[in-house]
Amino acid sequence: MTNKKQYILPAGLGLIGLLAAAAIPAGGTGVFEVLLIIAAVGVTAYIGWFTFIDRKFLLAQFEGLKNDYKGQREKASQCVKETKDLRLQVQLLKRQKRNTEAIIYSISDAVIVTDANDRLLMANEPAGVLFGFDLEKAALKLLDELVSKNELIKLITSSRKSKARHIKHELIFDSAENPLVYNCTISCIYDDEDEVCGTVAVLHDITREKEISQMKNDFVSHVSHELKTPLASITAYSEMLVDGEANDEKTRNEFYSIIQNQAQRLNRLIEDILNISRIESGLIKVNKEALSTALVVRDAVQMIKGYAIEKDITVEDQTSIVFDQVVADKDMISQVVINLLSNAVKYTPNGGKVTVNSEVDESEGVARVTVTDTGVGIPSDDLLKVFDKFYRVKANNKCAKGTGLGLNLVKQIIEKVHNGRVFVASEIGKGSSFGFELPLAAMEKSFAG
Amino acid sequence: MSNRKVLVADDEAHIVHVVAMKLRNNGFDVITADNGAEAYELCCEEKPDVIITDYQMPQMTGIELVKKLRSTPELEHIPVIILTARGFAIEDEQKEKLNIAECLSKPFSPKELLSHVENVLQSSAMR
Repeated sequence: MTNKKQYILPAGLGLIGLLAAAAIPAGGTGVFEVLLIIAAVGVTAYIGWFTFIDRKFLLAQFEGLKNDYKGQREKASQCVKETKDLRLQVQLLKRQKRNTEAIIYSISDAVIVTDANDRLLMANEPAGVLFGFDLEKAALKLLDELVSKNELIKLITSSRKSKARHIKHELIFDSAENPLVYNCTISCIYDDEDEVCGTVAVLHDITREKEISQMKNDFVSHVSHELKTPLASITAYSEMLVDGEANDEKTRNEFYSIIQNQAQRLNRLIEDILNISRIESGLIKVNKEALSTALVVRDAVQMIKGYAIEKDITVEDQTSIVFDQVVADKDMISQVVINLLSNAVKYTPNGGKVTVNSEVDESEGVARVTVTDTGVGIPSDDLLKVFDKFYRVKANNKCAKGTGLGLNLVKQIIEKVHNGRVFVASEIGKGSSFGFELPLAAMEKSFAG
Repeated sequence: MSNRKVLVADDEAHIVHVVAMKLRNNGFDVITADNGAEAYELCCEEKPDVIITDYQMPQMTGIELVKKLRSTPELEHIPVIILTARGFAIEDEQKEKLNIAECLSKPFSPKELLSHVENVLQSSAMR
């Protein structure tokens, strides 16, 4: 900034100086000297004043610049701070996104997140597998391009339009084997204006639960049937005795005997149910002792022969006696062998053959009992499930009655109580082999030692 | 007048035995079968006046047997009494559709079963 006033004084004094200089050649002495002194004093005073004033000005200018610089610097540092904050926020959001993705990816249920236009925002691997789309290529694609299950798309769209917080629905997916049942929950996501900005669909596989529920229903139905059958005999024969319909002593004795047998049958069934329950809850009393599976097999074969003769089935025991090879509960192992033998007889047509073999496999460290029949056989799909509680092979349902408890009891006794293993092999129309392995007593001791 | 003939079908031998004895003691002729398929064959041969059958039997269930009888012209009229250990196995609608005369739950009273057989025969004679 230029101050014009500051030139007036030196210009005036300069003019006086010039006049004094002009007066010297004119010969004027007194005036000249006075003027010269005035000019000298004036110039000196001006220089002093100017220096003072200008310094002030410069200082002010400097101060101004300094303040400007300070302001700019503050602004710059503010910007740097804001940039840092933004960077932090971006990092935080990225981390939050990663966390959300990690949560969604860790869920074993299929999860699909869509936006307000039904485009896919996020999905986890189970969803990709269930609907057969590539997760990396699926982002922001319309749902109907990715998911062929129209029922689900309709549910998501209607859920979004209705703004309902949660919608639950059961979806059935046809697969190559059995249909899969999913419990589908669709929840709306709301923005700050309480508008729906997307949906989350969670699909939980309830196929197994459905199967168990069906098995339980079947079990109740089977058990009630099994319990009522001997009860029907007991009731009917008792009534006949009371009403005097058994005319002679022989008939009366026959009736007493039937009532007794049916009562025992009823008791065995109830014991089976209770035993499974006790083993499962760990409440069963186990009396382990050194025993020979071969001897148990021999006794069981004797017990089952009467039943086999009724169906003209031969039971062949190929076992050679080896003593004390396992440590086990005799009653339980006996029940296992009887269950396997009676199943073999039950599912073998009249005139067939049941073979039982007990052997010691030292290389595997086990005693192995195998019951082989020439029966109806089991479809391969059912083989893995035959030891499941309440499971009955549908194709063989008509051959014989049963509760689906016998083989489960076998598995529980062998695997849970005796640390052994059950096995099965079968060919439809040719027959089945059921058996079990128990650790040899020597092995048990060495493990214990 | 010849004795009325009753077919008793059940895979439980004890049940067949007791029902047959009760009926024979009361003047009926009784033929027996231990599965649905055998019962159907006997029906064709013997043309019984009434059939008492168990619901759950191997090879052919009681219901399958009734369905087969109803689609065989000379057997379609035979009244059927079903014995079942499943309390909820037969819907009223099915009972009516298959013209099942009675459905009795096990355990049952032989005395009551006899009176049902007599009632069923009486009402079929009145038709």
